[in-house]
Amino acid sequence: MSYKIAVVGDQETVTGFALAGATYVHIHATREETLAKLSEFFASGEIGLVLITHRIAEELGLDFRWMSRAKRLLPLVLRIPDKTGYVPKVDELREIIRRTVGAGIMVRKEGS
Amino acid sequence: MSANRLIKIELSKLNVHLPERRLSLREALSSAKPQVVARDGSVHTFKREELEFLAGLLPEADRDKLQLPILIALEPKLGRGTARISGEAEAKVVSQVLEKELTAGELLIYRPEVAILRRKLPTTTQYLFLW
Amino acid sequence: MTIALAVSPTRMELLKLRQRVGLAQKGHDLLKEKMDALVIEFFEVLRRIQEARTKALEQLSVAHRALSMCFAVVGTLETRQVSREARRELQMEISTHHIMGIAVPAVEVGEVERNVLARGYSIHTTSSVLDGASREFERALKLLIELSELNASAFALARELEKTKRRVNALEYILIPRLREALKFIMMRLDEMERENFIRLKRIKAMLEKRE
Repeated sequence: MSYKIAVVGDQETVTGFALAGATYVHIHATREETLAKLSEFFASGEIGLVLITHRIAEELGLDFRWMSRAKRLLPLVLRIPDKTGYVPKVDELREIIRRTVGAGIMVRKEGS
Repeated sequence: MSANRLIKIELSKLNVHLPERRLSLREALSSAKPQVVARDGSVHTFKREELEFLAGLLPEADRDKLQLPILIALEPKLGRGTARISGEAEAKVVSQVLEKELTAGELLIYRPEVAILRRKLPTTTQYLFLW
Repeated sequence: MTIALAVSPTRMELLKLRQRVGLAQKGHDLLKEKMDALVIEFFEVLRRIQEARTKALEQLSVAHRALSMCFAVVGTLETRQVSREARRELQMEISTHHIMGIAVPAVEVGEVERNVLARGYSIHTTSSVLDGASREFERALKLLIELSELNASAFALARELEKTKRRVNALEYILIPRLREALKFIMMRLDEMERENFIRLKRIKAMLEKRE
């Protein structure tokens, strides 16, 4: 199946990816607007990937995390740095590793 | 007791990702879209570059013998993390990929080797859970 | 002991319990094997994510620099205007494939990088700086699309890993110890009953002997 790409970001991010061929774009201004746009993207069925800057994802907080968890396999969601290169200190995947695999297995894996 | 039933259900689900029928390397190579259908109905596709890599490891005559996906059989009674590769052609290929000496027709491999095997043959190997 | 008391101390029950312990232990061992396999898969995806992420983020920052340059040379408003007029129909192919029954996405994307004409903006507004910025963002987008597939796979594997771990723990720390406790209780009761029987028999025998 073919899918299109959506971008949620600041002015620069959106301009850049629009130049690159991303079909749907939303420039973040208010939480309410952006959340509404995101739920539209998630429900659309023709979007395969939503790119969103870390900064905005963080600002949307729990609402966004719940939305991402409740969605189906598609669209994929990827958080990206903005122009300033901002990425949060707590890496989501690292957090998952800590929770699921834990230090025990990591040590055992190296030891085995 | 419901716990009993839950465990049985859990065990029956362990191998639903495996195909009803495996494909020989020759069949896979000659197919335009080399794939197998799993017991849960999902379709599993082999990457052509992997098939060609495997073909390079085997004499022409063995292409009918090698059944895909190659099964990495995990069996608790072998000890945790130990896997069995059954089948002559399968053992031959895996021992070459792992640069491991092949003694009998069957091959036992260990967890770090399983990891290497999965990295080198991601679509043409699959886990099988045995008890 | 409340659970242990719920079982009746008979040979039949003992047999049934032994079977249950056996099954629970088997389930536990197999799920643990599955967990180990999931860990192998998970770490492999993480290794690939690390590589892909470094590449993608470097390219993204190159793209942002090119865009800043474009804003400066062509003008911010003009660049935005062109981005709105550009052809924006990039497609990605997504199918699912399965790792141990877990659905993970498989993404395919054709050439993202385009030539000037394919970008679809009117020729008179274009400049090499603008083209440069477009090209760098196209490259970044391709790498990010690849990264998104790995990222989604990692999350799907992590979820399954968490589920499997919970089941292993429930068996290891709750169900199996309970069953063993019940087993011990029945064995003790059966032993006791046997001893009582033995004593009773001895007493009867003594009584019979006395009578003679």
